[in-house]
Amino acid sequence: MSKAAIHYSFDHEHLLGIDGLHPLDLTHILDLANDYAEATRSGKRADPVLSGKTVVNLFFENSTRTMSSFEIAARRLGADVVSMPVAQSSVKKGETLIDTAMTLNAMKPDVLVVRHSASGGAKLLSRKVDCAVINAGDGTHEHPTQGLLDTLTIRRNKGRVEGLKVVICGDIVHSRVARSTTLALHLLGAEVHLCAPSTLMPSGTETWGAASATSDFDAALEGADVVMMLRLQLERMDGAYLPSRREYFRYFGLTEERLNHAKADAIVMHPGPMNRGIEIESAIADGERSVITEQVEMGVAVREAVLHLLAGGRP
Amino acid sequence: MSLSIFNARLLDPASGTDEVGAILIEEGCITAISPGATGAHKGASETLDAGGLCLAPGLIDLRVKTGEPGDEQKETLATASRAAVAGGVTSLVVMPDTKPVVDDVALVRYISDRAKVSAKARIYAAGALTTGLEGKAMAEIGLMADAGAVLFTNGDAPIGDPSILKRAMTYAASRGAIVMSRPDDNALKGSGVMNAGAFAARKGLSGIPKEAEWIGAARDLMLAEATGCTLILDQVSTPRTLELVADSRARGASVFTTIAAHSLFFNELDVGDYLTYCKVNPPFRDEDTRLAMIAALKAGEIDAVVSAHDPQPPEEKRLPFGEASFGAAGLETTLSALLSLVHDGPLTLLEALAPLTSRPADMIGLPEGRLSEGTPADFILFDPNKPWLCEREHLLSRSTNSPFDGRRLQGRVLKTFVGGEQVFAR
Repeated sequence: MSKAAIHYSFDHEHLLGIDGLHPLDLTHILDLANDYAEATRSGKRADPVLSGKTVVNLFFENSTRTMSSFEIAARRLGADVVSMPVAQSSVKKGETLIDTAMTLNAMKPDVLVVRHSASGGAKLLSRKVDCAVINAGDGTHEHPTQGLLDTLTIRRNKGRVEGLKVVICGDIVHSRVARSTTLALHLLGAEVHLCAPSTLMPSGTETWGAASATSDFDAALEGADVVMMLRLQLERMDGAYLPSRREYFRYFGLTEERLNHAKADAIVMHPGPMNRGIEIESAIADGERSVITEQVEMGVAVREAVLHLLAGGRP
Repeated sequence: MSLSIFNARLLDPASGTDEVGAILIEEGCITAISPGATGAHKGASETLDAGGLCLAPGLIDLRVKTGEPGDEQKETLATASRAAVAGGVTSLVVMPDTKPVVDDVALVRYISDRAKVSAKARIYAAGALTTGLEGKAMAEIGLMADAGAVLFTNGDAPIGDPSILKRAMTYAASRGAIVMSRPDDNALKGSGVMNAGAFAARKGLSGIPKEAEWIGAARDLMLAEATGCTLILDQVSTPRTLELVADSRARGASVFTTIAAHSLFFNELDVGDYLTYCKVNPPFRDEDTRLAMIAALKAGEIDAVVSAHDPQPPEEKRLPFGEASFGAAGLETTLSALLSLVHDGPLTLLEALAPLTSRPADMIGLPEGRLSEGTPADFILFDPNKPWLCEREHLLSRSTNSPFDGRRLQGRVLKTFVGGEQVFAR
């Protein structure tokens, strides 16, 4: 069925998570993002659909990568961008998330891009402001633009999402990327297998749409089309969740040998920043099956699409 | 001066009475109960036609927090008692975790003196089990008990060191004092903020596992067995905890249990999109557990229902879920929450009222909580069917952090009497 036939329109006020989106929404965002990606590659300037609009990046956690990606995306569409790494400012003086949000809201931005260390932080903010809110990561809950960029990268490399076998391996329990990416891929029909040491695997992953949850990485990799490694926070490896770095690498590190279990044309992904030699070998990260830099490229394209849909009128 | 209330459906769980009749009040006490009477008592100087409304003992609430002394912006004894009588609660036990902590005689007296001048309901103090609630040194349990403290507790934070708890319970037993403990293993509860499980994982929130309650309960129960101390397990939230209690009782321990009224009404999914009013400890559990706890209440395996009233102002709740304080205002919704279980079928009116009246009164030895001759005339008139919309703006507590905000409820108190005086009417 074509989109026109069912009168599709993107009618979301915010992008707080993949949860709550329809597969058609995803396809629509990905199509638009792909157009933006192609335009950038061919050196075309995007239409300034956000001309005269103000986008505020409100980052309560430091993340140069994600903040820069949003900033570049917004500027390409002609928006005025203010980036506030709040981690270093007034919040330290006891100002709460809501106070900060109300203050910014009074300045009438059109879009607030927010990252916060608390799950639900973006949702809370969206209740208190009048503009569109984009969740750029809230605690261990969701990181929807990451889920979208992962999905777009896969779709571009494999030509489809439906029916692919995707393995996501690493610290699933603390990963907002795992949640958003699993939800997005499942909505579009991929078969997502989660792999983690049992101490880092949450319960109920079937409610995200995961096909399986295991701590046997080699078995999970059998016949995989896509292998996505997650970053493991070094502080989790000091004996609290895992015995040691080398034990983690032994069972969950992605090596050339291990990758042989996957399909010959499997692609390797990582949301970054990578711990080389802990979750992934450098040879693979830099190898020809790696699409890690394309993920970064698609990140900007996806953010252009999302900003356009939320604040730039109908594409 | 005497008052006869007639044409009332008399509900007294202690005696099993459920019959239309009249009661007579003289000098602040009930002096005659006449089930089956069709009119007022002869010779009464005043009469009141209840119009068929239910007349039950006032509610006894064993777990209420206020902010007095120290956090009066949250709640005072006066505002808590105003909310209490509006909810039909006529006797309440206030927790010792105030600033300063109620850990000596002067503070117990302060609570009762302040209550006398400012409160409409009867207020009883719970004393701290350890000084400053630090879990290190035993507080003056005997002296506080003599000054009127009805039970001793370490509040929300269980004593970490079992040897200190054991000695405190041994000593309390020798003074005939009752110890109330919140069964929790601090380390296992950790940084958890809601019930552990699939929903918490999906929301990216850290979970409070049931094992934390089981391990805490097992420890406290074994110490009750070993010391002979009477123990109240505060706000149990799982059926397995009740199995542990049954086992200890079979071994001769004197143990009671309470449950928070909101735990019988909500489940973990009510947390929804990070609603901080639904952040409580113990957390709202899964639906199977909620239903099992209702069945246990019906079977008499849970002794009392408490409001677990814990007023928290907006600055403690308008935060991301993980950062918000635990606690829900509950004084004004306890009865309605229990009546919902009557309307939904599982409980009879008497089964709903027993854990709110006579049973908690018996646990700590209060004369209230029953309709019988010679007892204080603390009672409520309520319409079990009256529909109402709970809106936080209309709650009388100083803090209105109610998970029932926006809920439609059925059954409401219309008049409340304490010591024969009408202290509330709507």
